[in-house]
Amino acid sequence: MRTMSRIFSALVVASSVAILLAGVSSVFAGQATTPLKVYIGGQQRPDLMRELFAAYMAANPSIKIDVEIGGATSDLHQKYLNMVLTAKDTTLDIFLIDVVRPAQFAAAGWAEPLNIYFGSNASLEAAMGKYLPAYREANTVAGEIISLPAFADSMFLYYRKDLLKKYDLQPPTTWPELANMARTIAAGEQNPNLQGLSFQAKAIEGTVCTFLLPYWSLGGEMIRDGKLAFDAPKAEAGLAMWRDMVAQGVAKKNVAEVGTDDTRKEFQAGRVIFAVNWGYAWNHFESGADTQVAHKVGVAKLPAMVGGKSVSCMGGWNWAVSAFSKNKAAAAALVRWLSSPETSKQLAIRGSFHPVFASVYQDQDVIRAIPWFADALPVVLTARPRPVTPMYKMVSDALRINTNTVMAGVKKPSEALAEIELRVGRAVR
Amino acid sequence: MTENKMSSLFSSIRLRWFAAAIVIINGLFPALWILATSLKGEVELTAKPITYLPNSPTLLNFISAFRDQPLLTYLLNSAIVAILSTMLSLFISALAAYAIARLNLRRRDLILTSIIAVSMFPLVTLMVPLFEIMRAANLLNSYWALILPYTVLNLPICTLMLVSFFHDIPRDIENAAMLDGCTRLGALWRIVVPLAAPGVFTAGILAFVNSWDEFLLALSLNSAVAFRTLPVGIQMYQGEFAFPWPIISAALVVAMVPVVIVIVVFQDKVVSGLTSGGLKG
Amino acid sequence: MQKRTLIDRIIDPSETTLAWVLLTPAILFMLLIVAYPVSSLIVNSFFDIRLSRGVPVRFIGFENYLAALNDAMFWRSVKNTLIITFVTVPGALVVGLGLAMLANMPFKYRGLIRLSLLLPWALPLAFVGLIFAWFFHSEYGIVNDIIRRIALVFPGIGWEPQIWFNSPSLTMIAICLATIWKTSSFMALILLAGLQTIPSSLYEAAEVDGASRWTQFVEITLPLLVPSMLIALIFRTLTAIQSFDIPFSMPGPGEEAQTLAMYVQLNSVDYLDLGYSSALAVFMFMLSMATTVVYLRYVRGGRD
Repeated sequence: MRTMSRIFSALVVASSVAILLAGVSSVFAGQATTPLKVYIGGQQRPDLMRELFAAYMAANPSIKIDVEIGGATSDLHQKYLNMVLTAKDTTLDIFLIDVVRPAQFAAAGWAEPLNIYFGSNASLEAAMGKYLPAYREANTVAGEIISLPAFADSMFLYYRKDLLKKYDLQPPTTWPELANMARTIAAGEQNPNLQGLSFQAKAIEGTVCTFLLPYWSLGGEMIRDGKLAFDAPKAEAGLAMWRDMVAQGVAKKNVAEVGTDDTRKEFQAGRVIFAVNWGYAWNHFESGADTQVAHKVGVAKLPAMVGGKSVSCMGGWNWAVSAFSKNKAAAAALVRWLSSPETSKQLAIRGSFHPVFASVYQDQDVIRAIPWFADALPVVLTARPRPVTPMYKMVSDALRINTNTVMAGVKKPSEALAEIELRVGRAVR
Repeated sequence: MTENKMSSLFSSIRLRWFAAAIVIINGLFPALWILATSLKGEVELTAKPITYLPNSPTLLNFISAFRDQPLLTYLLNSAIVAILSTMLSLFISALAAYAIARLNLRRRDLILTSIIAVSMFPLVTLMVPLFEIMRAANLLNSYWALILPYTVLNLPICTLMLVSFFHDIPRDIENAAMLDGCTRLGALWRIVVPLAAPGVFTAGILAFVNSWDEFLLALSLNSAVAFRTLPVGIQMYQGEFAFPWPIISAALVVAMVPVVIVIVVFQDKVVSGLTSGGLKG
Repeated sequence: MQKRTLIDRIIDPSETTLAWVLLTPAILFMLLIVAYPVSSLIVNSFFDIRLSRGVPVRFIGFENYLAALNDAMFWRSVKNTLIITFVTVPGALVVGLGLAMLANMPFKYRGLIRLSLLLPWALPLAFVGLIFAWFFHSEYGIVNDIIRRIALVFPGIGWEPQIWFNSPSLTMIAICLATIWKTSSFMALILLAGLQTIPSSLYEAAEVDGASRWTQFVEITLPLLVPSMLIALIFRTLTAIQSFDIPFSMPGPGEEAQTLAMYVQLNSVDYLDLGYSSALAVFMFMLSMATTVVYLRYVRGGRD
């Protein structure tokens, strides 16, 4: 019994000492290194990000970066952030947010404004001036820099350059032109499975762009100075253009079922002449498994409405610092580094991420690694941000759901437009 | 003995085969579809006319499934969480069900209804507070973060099933055992539970599958890769736009195998011959 | 009789004490895990909490509830939820009962039948919706493929492949079919267990008395299955009221096929209007509670 109690006491003393030492060392450790936790999506090349972070840590030994990998889709990613930030969690320091989110994060007070971390106004202007203008704008809410651009994306017009060449055609500049070309080629090819144009009308986020492309092309705007600026005739013209495509047989009848990846898969299988899609599709077309269209794909600016301008829809992601972070200065420094031209170049070359700097698109190394970025730049320059408002989700729902019901033939355009005006108006009230 | 037409119809072997065929097709078809898809290349999915069996079967999807994500880790995590929460749930609900079914308890209905009330709230609205609880208890990204909520989520169905089955067991058997010197709790574990085996195993299967398939909590509370469960892991194969059905089907096949094993092994215990001999009369 | 000391109470507790002791673990777990979230939810429903608007949190009493009652989208989601409930609960019961009876019959390939019966339950719910959405795809789905093939062989029938997700009613049909497919397995599992408690001696006696199979079914099987059916119905109904995964995966036109659970999630996670979504969740709770009370009353009535 005696020995047992002796051993027991020894154990108690030993473990107390150990705990004490651990506590003391962690205090010192805390003073020596600053831990930063970065939250990125599962499909945003965490492996590549880790390499970049390793380089940063090597150059900044007092920083320790931990990566947390989140949901695979923008939606799941955001759901997790919504929950964690509503609970005011302090463990996340930096996260990636979708390009449509800064206004929401600003209103909810979830992102730390980064203005002060540039040191001086001059330095801020110098840094921000380098970005593509649309991206600078998308990240600034009421003068506050809510986040910094990470990488870009845009909607492109992909086309079968082999088919266009065969019929001696140049990429179309207007939608009616595209329809004519599609019909010419279809008549010549006599292939019932060949679609003229593939675009998305499923009730997904991308369909917001489907609505906005012709609308913007005609000069329409959704929000001006924080108020609704809806132009119903222009919207109607836009929807009519898409419905015409289906009516003429240029696009298929069940377009309301078509999502982003459906377009990509069908174009990749060689069954589409013109496709409206995001930047990710290029790699699949050129080097995806079983691709039927390698080296046959051209990229062009999206056609305009007659009398309008060519526009594209802006995508991409931004780095934000959590308002609840305990290491804001260190996090801001890391974010500035992540959003620098040098890092952007690395991401472009090693991960095919679209740069957010015009200069990087034109960088020789980048062009050598990814030749098509040279063609991509003019398109990216036409890209416009989707409506900037904290209630973006509501606006998005109004636009994509009504576009979907119109293209499905379930709702009349006039009804749909009235509902859009009502719901978007309510959202920006 | 007169047999009316209906009974001769039901007893006809032909009809039984027909009915059996329908059951088998109904149950197996989607699972077989998933299996077939997991062996196809992506291009085949948009072929017209659609193909059922793969044209050129490939195991690449399975290789990719294991390579792109630590699928075995996810499998292990799901197994640990599901097994432990099921056992805990069965234990706690056995105790509670015994109290409700057997013992002199006022307001039984109220208690039963409060237990069932747990399933009346959409889980998504309980997420933020649950996250806060787990964070405060420092249990985020651990097995207990899921085991505890799953136990509670499965309490209603387990309790209700066991109450019903305990109710059907005549009191005399227990009373006889207790006269022989057995305690109440002893009677519960040695007599009542074994006699209620079909109910116990059914509740166990239901709880296990519920825990195995649960997505929302697993996504929010165990986001770290080391503790991720299967449903969350499988959605990680998606891209922002891309939904690679072949790879996801392969992962689904892997996810379903343990569940199928559990069901096959235990459904035998559900129908093990307790009807012959009979509990009543 | 001696006075019962505390020790006596612990070693040989009275029935009521023992009952409460046995209930303690369940109550404890529920308090730990569920009490705070549920009370938080109810409290939130009386406040205006809209994180995306950046407005301060303030107490507004029943305004959220009144807003819901005036909200057309709320009523439409309730309607859709009720349709799904009234179609899939009886549907799953009937199909599940048939499946359970078949699985119980002596049959050479009983194992295969039982496997087929339980396999739908093994497929994660989140993916069942996606798989059936694919089945009902107008171009690449098997439903239209089968319709096409049948139409080729029997042109007289006049069946045509539909664009299922362009029509609200067809979408609802697809949702209900997928739900019944998945949940009849759940029902069958419970009913199968229930069938085990019916002693075969009852059937044997009935056979001797000359009762037909149908009579045996109606007079013996059904009444004795009532307890199991009730359990199955209660939980099937509760999950039907909370239908989310399957309707969410079916890309029906716009929001025509939106259920109450989808609307709750929309308002909570997407719009960050925690006050309103909490009120909606409380409505869902009240609906669930009402149905459960009705079911339990029926059990009580049946038992007495």
